[in-house]
Amino acid sequence: MSFVTVVFRGLIRRRTRTTLTLLGISIGIAAVVALVGLSRGLNKSWAAGMRARGTDVVVSNMTSSLVPKPFNATVRDRIAHLPHIAATCSLLVDLMSVENTEMIMVSGREWGGFTWANLKLISGRMPNDAQEKAVVLGRTAADVLKKKVGDPIQIETAELKVVGIVDGNAWVENGSVILSLPLLQEITDDQDRINVIDVRLTPGTSRADVQSLCEQINQLVPEARAIVASENLNQSEISRIVGAMSWSTSLLAVLVGVLGVMNTMLMNVFERTPEICVLLALGWKRRRIVELVLWESAILGLLGGIIGVFIGVAGVRLLGATPSIRGLLEPDIGIRLLAVSVAIAILVGVVSGLYPAWRSSRVTPSQALHG
Amino acid sequence: MQPLLRSNQSATTDRVLENPVSNAFEAVGLKKDFDDGAVQALRSLDLQIPEGEFIAITGPSGCGKTTLLQLLGALDRPTAGTLAFRGVSIPDLPDPSAYRSQEIGFVFQSFHLLPTFTALENVQIPMLETRMPSAKRRDRARELLKSVGLERRLNHFPSKLSGGERQRVAIARSLANNPSVLLADEPTGNLDSDNAVMILDLLTKIQQEKRMTLVLVTHDDRVAHRAARIIHMIDGHAVSDRQTGNGVCQ
Repeated sequence: MSFVTVVFRGLIRRRTRTTLTLLGISIGIAAVVALVGLSRGLNKSWAAGMRARGTDVVVSNMTSSLVPKPFNATVRDRIAHLPHIAATCSLLVDLMSVENTEMIMVSGREWGGFTWANLKLISGRMPNDAQEKAVVLGRTAADVLKKKVGDPIQIETAELKVVGIVDGNAWVENGSVILSLPLLQEITDDQDRINVIDVRLTPGTSRADVQSLCEQINQLVPEARAIVASENLNQSEISRIVGAMSWSTSLLAVLVGVLGVMNTMLMNVFERTPEICVLLALGWKRRRIVELVLWESAILGLLGGIIGVFIGVAGVRLLGATPSIRGLLEPDIGIRLLAVSVAIAILVGVVSGLYPAWRSSRVTPSQALHG
Repeated sequence: MQPLLRSNQSATTDRVLENPVSNAFEAVGLKKDFDDGAVQALRSLDLQIPEGEFIAITGPSGCGKTTLLQLLGALDRPTAGTLAFRGVSIPDLPDPSAYRSQEIGFVFQSFHLLPTFTALENVQIPMLETRMPSAKRRDRARELLKSVGLERRLNHFPSKLSGGERQRVAIARSLANNPSVLLADEPTGNLDSDNAVMILDLLTKIQQEKRMTLVLVTHDDRVAHRAARIIHMIDGHAVSDRQTGNGVCQ
């Protein structure tokens, strides 16, 4: 038997209360894992999509919404001649309700543009030309929409045909309905409007040259903003809002966990005051009693954190499988996030135990001789 | 360990033999008030308790006997007067917990065993504050429980023990760190007469074998008469102090 035995026995003494407290912390930590993982997944998925399309610089206006604001298609012509630009591809992307699916990414791409090149056909074929009333579906989008090659598909009021299923090497690409830009412009009545220009740079372009190019584009086209592809979503207002909301919601959930642990530990201390008095009478130091309470609450945090991580990961997987999320973003739950979540849980435990520990240190040992 | 209190932990018995009349405790003008003086539990008590003596403190409820026990065990501080253990002021001890751990063994009326620990584990609790290795702690606890006749109850939880057995576990626990003083607060108060006799026999035997100082608080005259000396208290005063001729340490 050791001090650790005393700590664990203290926790199992009130099994129901300990279990409920663990559940409280777990839910808080699960919220951290799920919300932060999804928020980070949003950025990661977007960046992966950019890489898959072979895009180095993105010209768009993503300051206030999840999809970029449209601007005139002539912007492409105004920047195409700039140095270090090897190729450009105009896009019109939007989150749309397609048939029974609440929200799916629809990507209209300049016919012949380089962003078509990275799509690998799994089945069917690519559209024959920009005017063909046809789409290809990313493989996840095909699953979500329950479509196969040859099936009709309705976007807004237009009747189109699924001619191919593709693998785009990224969640965003695989979750998209892809068609030619003129077709989507026609369907959305957005003729001459685009909202993204993907730019591919000449090989060997230095970081400084990329920055210089972005500055030139920003001067030339004030209605949009050129950003290095990997930084694109991180700099958007919506990304920041989603990130902030994720963390603040998570912290609220964690706060509930703190109150839960504090309540449990206070109840423990109040209930065990006679026991604490006896321990003091038996020669235990006050410091040891404080350590006992803090260890108990830290272990509550640790166990709650571990359980919370499992719940969070399972929850995100479940959420990722739902039709409204599936294919839109890939949750980013790395070891680091899990470790940080468990660390937060332990911190929650220790912080929650501070006041109860202080209360326990104020117990008068002479109470041991009463009753 | 406090060198102030003890130069050699195992020397208690030897010291008593070398100087059988030295005082374990000495109180002069000892006072203890509660509620800002509204309650005077002890009123100028003078007391000497020699090493190795079995002394009973008797008196009606509220006479101050338990308060005296608290002060002797450094569980509380006196309002006024002096109280010393082997010449060292108890209220001025730099580490009262070390004093309790090394010198004092408590036996309570309600046993106060920890419910989630077995008998063997309960006896080890006081030893967790020492640097004794885990295996040695367990061996000592087993030995102590054997000495109180509970070798077959080592792994029983308190709820599975009778009142007498619980008190025997508590006595074994009080001896865990080989203290020189046992402070017993109504140790038979929650026991039937058969178990009460058994516990008193056990305490007397331990006191005599280990030549410990035993201070036993009781309101029962029959229990008190097992002691060598009885101090009767009323309203915070010692109104009588007499030898019984029993339990004298040879």
